Amino acid sequence: MITLAHFQIVSAALFAVGLYGVLARRSAVLILMSIELMLNAVNLNLIAVSSYVESSVFSGLIIAIFVITVAAAEVGLALAIVLRLFRNRASVNVDEIDLMKW
Amino acid sequence: MLSMEWAWLIPAISFVAFPVIVALRRAAPIVSALVAIMAILGGFVVFWLVTVDRIDHGATGIDFFSYRWFDVGAVQLTWGIIVDPLTIVMLGLVTFVSLMVQVYSLGYMKGDPRFGWYFALHSLFAASMLTVVLADNFLLLYIAWELVGLCSYLLIGFWYELRSATEAAKKAFITTRIADVALLTGILLLFKEVGTFSMQETFHQAELLMLGEPSALSSTTATASALLLFVGAMGKSAQFPFHVWLPDAMEGPTPVSALIHAATMVVAGVFLVARTFTLFEAVPNVLVIVAIVGLATTLIAATMALVVTDLKRILAYSTISHLGLMMLSLGAFGYTAAVFHLMAHGFSKALLFLGAGSVMHGANQTDIRKMGGLIKVMPFTAILFGIGALSLGGVPIFAGFWSKDEILISVLDHRHPIFTVLLLVAVFLSALYMARAYFITFLGDLKDENRTAHEASNTMLIPMILLGILALTFGFMALEWTNEYSGIGSFLYKHKPHGFEFNVALGIGSIAIAIGAFILAWLIYRAKVISIEGLKQRLNPLISVIEHKYYLDEIYQWTIDRVILVFSSFVAYFDRTAVNDIAVDGPADSIKRSAFNLRYHVTGLMQNYALGMIIGAIGVAVAWWAVAVYG
Repeated sequence: MITLAHFQIVSAALFAVGLYGVLARRSAVLILMSIELMLNAVNLNLIAVSSYVESSVFSGLIIAIFVITVAAAEVGLALAIVLRLFRNRASVNVDEIDLMKW
Repeated sequence: MLSMEWAWLIPAISFVAFPVIVALRRAAPIVSALVAIMAILGGFVVFWLVTVDRIDHGATGIDFFSYRWFDVGAVQLTWGIIVDPLTIVMLGLVTFVSLMVQVYSLGYMKGDPRFGWYFALHSLFAASMLTVVLADNFLLLYIAWELVGLCSYLLIGFWYELRSATEAAKKAFITTRIADVALLTGILLLFKEVGTFSMQETFHQAELLMLGEPSALSSTTATASALLLFVGAMGKSAQFPFHVWLPDAMEGPTPVSALIHAATMVVAGVFLVARTFTLFEAVPNVLVIVAIVGLATTLIAATMALVVTDLKRILAYSTISHLGLMMLSLGAFGYTAAVFHLMAHGFSKALLFLGAGSVMHGANQTDIRKMGGLIKVMPFTAILFGIGALSLGGVPIFAGFWSKDEILISVLDHRHPIFTVLLLVAVFLSALYMARAYFITFLGDLKDENRTAHEASNTMLIPMILLGILALTFGFMALEWTNEYSGIGSFLYKHKPHGFEFNVALGIGSIAIAIGAFILAWLIYRAKVISIEGLKQRLNPLISVIEHKYYLDEIYQWTIDRVILVFSSFVAYFDRTAVNDIAVDGPADSIKRSAFNLRYHVTGLMQNYALGMIIGAIGVAVAWWAVAVYG
C-alpha cells in the first residue's frame, strides 16, 4: 500500500538531491538542472497531498501546472544568461564568477 | 516751528545721508562731503528749534517720546527719545563740533583717495552719537553705543595702509568691547528686575529704591548693574585701566581725534553715568568707586602727558585726564559740574586738536622737540591753540576755569579732603603740561626744518576761530544773566536748581595754582631760568616708569601672551582632540572600520549566498517547530 508518507519521502529525497546539486555543483547548467529537480519535488508533493487529502478539489494540480509553466520560462531565461556568460568568459563555472564581491 | 518730539530728526538726517554719501563717494567726492555737511547743518538747525520748544515748555522739564517697535512675548520694545536739559546740551555739543570738524576736514583731507568714504563715516558717526544722546531706552542706547564704537574703529584705521593704524584700531575696538560686555550685562540685569528697557521706568524704580519704598529693583542688583554700567563707561571714556586705547587712537586723522577722541565719543561714558545718575544715587557706594577711578585716571594721565613728546599724544593724555575729572565730579555728586566741564572741555579740546592738525598740516611734524617758534609762521593757529591751552589749564575767564571750579566745589563738599588736595595737584599738572606743549611748540626760535611751515587754509581756520570763541566765552554760561537764567545750575541740575557758586579760598587757590604752573613752565621751557636736568636725573627711575606708560601695555601684552593665548591653545587642543577627533569623527570612524571588516562576507559567489539562504530557512523552520512544540 502506497501512502502519502511514501510520496513525501520520495519528494523529500528528490528535494535533498536538488539542494545538494545547487550547493555543490560548479557548472551553472547543472545547478539549473538541480533547481528543476527541487521544483519537481515540490510538484510531486503538491499532487500527492492534493489527491490524498481532498481528491475532489484540483487546486494542488493547478498549482503544479503553474509551477511547470513558470519553471519552463525560468529555464529559458536562465539558459540565455548562461549562454551570454559563456560567450563572455568562456566558462560556466559559478565559482569563477565573483564580480559582485567587495 | 518744530515741536521737540521731532528731535529724532537730528540723527535721522545724518543716517539718511550716510548711504547717499556712500553712493556718491567715487563719482563726486566733493558733493558727498557737502551732503555730509548739509546733513549735520540740518541737525544743528533742528537742534535750535528743539531747544526753543524745550524752553517754551519749561526749560528744565523732561519729556519722553516713545514709539512701539516690536513685541517679544509680553515685552514691548520701543524706539524713543528723551528731551531734557542734558539731551539739549549734548545735542548742541555734538552737532556743533561735528559741523566744525567736518568743515575743517574739507581742507585737512583734501586730496585723500578715500575723501568721500571719510565723510560717510563722519555722517554715520554723528547719527549714532546723536542717537546715544537721545535714546530713551537702554537697548537703543546700546545699539547706538556699539555703532559709535564701530565708527571709531573705522576712522582710527582710516589709513589702513599703515600697520600702526590698523593695530591701534584693533586695540581701541577690543578694549572698548571688553568694557561693553559689562555694559550689556548691566543692562540685562536691570531688564531682568524692571522688566523693560525703558529708562523712565528704570529711573522710577531707582527713585523708589532710594526713598526706601517697595521697588522692583533690589539694592544688590542696583549696585551690580550700576557698577557694570560704570565699567562700560570706563571703556568708552578711557578710564584707568581701560585708557590704553586712547593714546594709540591718535593714529587716525587729526580731525577724527578732535571729534571722536576728544569732544564727543569718549565723553559718552561720562554721559552714560550722567544719564543714569538716578540709579547711581540710589547706590551711593558705587559713586565712591566712580570718584576714586576718576581721580586715579586724572593723576595718572596727567603725569604721562607731562613726559610724552608727541603733540597729539599730549592732547590724548590730557583728554584722559579731563575725562577722569568729569568722572570724579560725578562721583562727588557734581552732576552739573561734570556736564559743564564736558562741554567746556569738548570745545577747548576740539580746538586744540584742530590746532594740532593745522600744525601737522603746516609743519609735517608731531614731535614737539623738533618744533619751536611756530608762532612766527602760523600766528592764527598759535593764538587759537593758546586759547585752548589756557582754557584747559584753568586760567580765569576761559571756559575750563569755570567748570573746573564747579568740580572743585563739588569735591570739597562731598568727598574727603584728600580728594580735593589730589585734585589740585591734577589741576597744577594739567596747566603745566599744556604750558609745556605750548611753549615748546609755538614759542622760542624758529627751527630750520620748520621754515617752510605755513598757515592753514580758510576752511580750516574758520572752524577753529568759531571753536576758539566758544572756548573763550562758554564759561560765562556759569554766570547769572537773567532772572530765569542764573548760571548753568539753574538749567541743568539733578535735584534742585542752584545758581553760580564760588568758594573764594578755593577759587583763588586754583587760580594761583594754574597761573603758577604757567609761570613755572615759562621759567623752565622758555626762559630756561630753572634747570630741571638735575631733577630729571634724580627722578630718573620714576620718569622712566611714566615714559613706559606705567608698563600697562607690557602687562596687558604679557597677560595676552602668557594667560589668554596659553588658555586659548589649550582650548584649541581640546577642540581638536576631544571634540573633533573623539566626539565627532569617532563614531564615524568606528562605523567605517566595522564596515571594512564586515565587508569580507560579500564573496560574490552565488553558492555562498544560496547556503546562507538555506541555513536561514532551516533556522526559521527549526524556530517555528520549537515554538509549536514547546511554546
